[in-house]
Amino acid sequence: MTKRAARLFFFISTLVSALIFTVLTIDSHRQFPKLTNAAAIDEHVIAGKHVWHQYNCTNCHTLLGEGAYYAPDLTKITAQRGAPYLREFLKNPGKFYSEERDGRLMPTLNLSDQEIDDVIAFLGWVSRIDTQGWPPRPILVRGSAVPGAASALGVPPPAAVSQDPVELGRAVYNATPPGCAACHSVAPGVNIVGPTLAGLPATAAARVAAPDYTGKAKDAAAYIREAIVEPNAHVLTGPTYAAGGRSLMPGDYGQTLTPEQIDQIVAYLLTLR
Amino acid sequence: MRYQSQRVAYPYFVVALLLFGLQMVFGLLSAAKYLGPDPLLTILPFDVTKVIHTNLLLVWLLTAFMGAAYYLVPEESRVELYSVRLAYVQLGLWTGMGVTAVVGYMFGWTAGNKLLEQPFPLKIVIVIVMLMFLYNLGMTIRAGGRLTTTEGVLVGGLAFTALLYLPALFEFDNYTVSVFYRWWTVHLWVEGVWEMIQGALLAFLLIRLSGVDREVLEKWLYVIVGLTFISGILGTAHHYYWIGVPRYWLPIGGFFSALEPFVFLAMAMYAYYAIRRSGFAHPNRMALHWTIGSAVFSAIGAGLLGLAHTWPAVNKWTHGTLITPMHGHMAFFGAYVMIVLGMIAYAMPGLTGRSEDSRETSAHFWSFWLQISGMFGMTMAFAAAGITQTYLERILSIGYLDTQLKLQVHFLMLVATGILFTAGVALFLWDFFFQAGRPVAAPPRETLAPARSPAG
Repeated sequence: MTKRAARLFFFISTLVSALIFTVLTIDSHRQFPKLTNAAAIDEHVIAGKHVWHQYNCTNCHTLLGEGAYYAPDLTKITAQRGAPYLREFLKNPGKFYSEERDGRLMPTLNLSDQEIDDVIAFLGWVSRIDTQGWPPRPILVRGSAVPGAASALGVPPPAAVSQDPVELGRAVYNATPPGCAACHSVAPGVNIVGPTLAGLPATAAARVAAPDYTGKAKDAAAYIREAIVEPNAHVLTGPTYAAGGRSLMPGDYGQTLTPEQIDQIVAYLLTLR
Repeated sequence: MRYQSQRVAYPYFVVALLLFGLQMVFGLLSAAKYLGPDPLLTILPFDVTKVIHTNLLLVWLLTAFMGAAYYLVPEESRVELYSVRLAYVQLGLWTGMGVTAVVGYMFGWTAGNKLLEQPFPLKIVIVIVMLMFLYNLGMTIRAGGRLTTTEGVLVGGLAFTALLYLPALFEFDNYTVSVFYRWWTVHLWVEGVWEMIQGALLAFLLIRLSGVDREVLEKWLYVIVGLTFISGILGTAHHYYWIGVPRYWLPIGGFFSALEPFVFLAMAMYAYYAIRRSGFAHPNRMALHWTIGSAVFSAIGAGLLGLAHTWPAVNKWTHGTLITPMHGHMAFFGAYVMIVLGMIAYAMPGLTGRSEDSRETSAHFWSFWLQISGMFGMTMAFAAAGITQTYLERILSIGYLDTQLKLQVHFLMLVATGILFTAGVALFLWDFFFQAGRPVAAPPRETLAPARSPAG
């Protein structure tokens, strides 16, 4: 090869690569609105993006897997935790995590209520971006019991296992959304954010029988259903469970889950004796 | 050194190396924070130390590139620099920008966009500085009327560096789109046009150090740069995994970034070929160490360790884990840090009027080997941590925080080897400032030692 041929190789290969890249970029722009659900980008999402940048979030956390690696990935966080919890967490991270126990802690950023709502709206929008199935398994913030993270062991999709409501319920429980397993373990004594659900039938029966019970349920099954659909019917006290008398569990499972799915989850949870 | 104005490279090297030292302080602080309770949580949290660590890297490398260009271009074009004064003004503005950015980050003044955190006014300063720089180089080349391939590739790389910074000036409401264009700057810098700069500096150093025919080396320089762009431009796609872009970027990213190791392999072969032809004959053995080191370390760090997690089926599990800093640390060190340290080691005897073998001090040797071993250790620490994290957090779905607690031993290793590396950097600085001497006037042209320009 002569120097002239080498130069030609350089110019042509660069030009061709740049051309293909440009064409694909234009085509990507055509697809961005649909893939990113761009119609849902409202002023709150945009304001939330500014909050995300202004507070340098990306230099500890990752989002869409990009950022620093010092704090959890937040791509699907709103699907796992829900707005009430995230609001309370952002006001005071020290209430939920401790440096002694977890090794690190998010500094309190003194965000205004508006900023908190905006950044949650932004993260909510991000959680619905089409990420081509990433992450393949839920990335959890905390939760150390492998038995509790049954999803980790690769539970097959519901249709593939059976029509057994318990198995279907297990699959819904471990899917994100609804993300039950992100906060509740099914291993005894492992409280991730919400209380463990191990031994739930007995706990639930005891709870409805207790004098301080504030809900309407009469038995364990009804209690579990009520706790899913209406978490504020009977609020458990605990630093990561509730704030100001309100449960930190998302309150919209009554709308986001189908009645069949709720039946299935209840059937599954009733087996955790 | 043949031209008085080449001396302007010296203050650039001074600023670059001071910022390099400062980068180590913030790197060690960041690493220490992985070990657990952080006494500085409220005054200097991780996000601040990390953003300063990475921004200092970018700023000091660019400073060193500028210094290297100011040293190289007059010599290649055989003419004095167009304006020494402009070069000094540029350095002042640039340093002021860098210092303002660092102080600003400490007080929360940030654009919060990874690696492009510079607030908008500072971004404008960066653009102005780049324009001054390119103008000065362009006018010099014009005055000399001679443009060699080596300096052409170097100046081309620098010009594209400035051009590709422009997307960083725009803001997009859609986060996915903003990430998409962020990589036009970040990826096309470090895996595109900066490799032009690395390739050009490598070619320059090999021509000077080995005495191999310039025509041959410059021919292969074209091939290397061509390969860089074939793999690098479409290889941008490996940053487009899982971020809300069309699916076809996955196979494109996998295929083209799998070609990237060939670029670095080519550079390593290039250096090997040159050295085989001439042996370690050049008296500036430290410059040789850094030059060959750069070719080898970038082949491992940027080439192989990049390949390790670039395939979509692998990246699906490793995306956003400590596997990325494993690759990032060694790649940046091999490809860019070592080549500019080589350039500095090469330029110093000329700048200070000392003998060619004057750089071969024991402090300099120790600095080389401590940096090599420190960086190797840090890479291994990140690798062990990243693999464990991938397995526990991504495959077994164990919580992020619980997983991090299980990585403590690797973080200890990271801090220990980081200290080793920092010791190497400290020695380099000490050697540069206290043993290498100060710049002197260039000798009259006719007394030039012929060894300095075997293929001039």
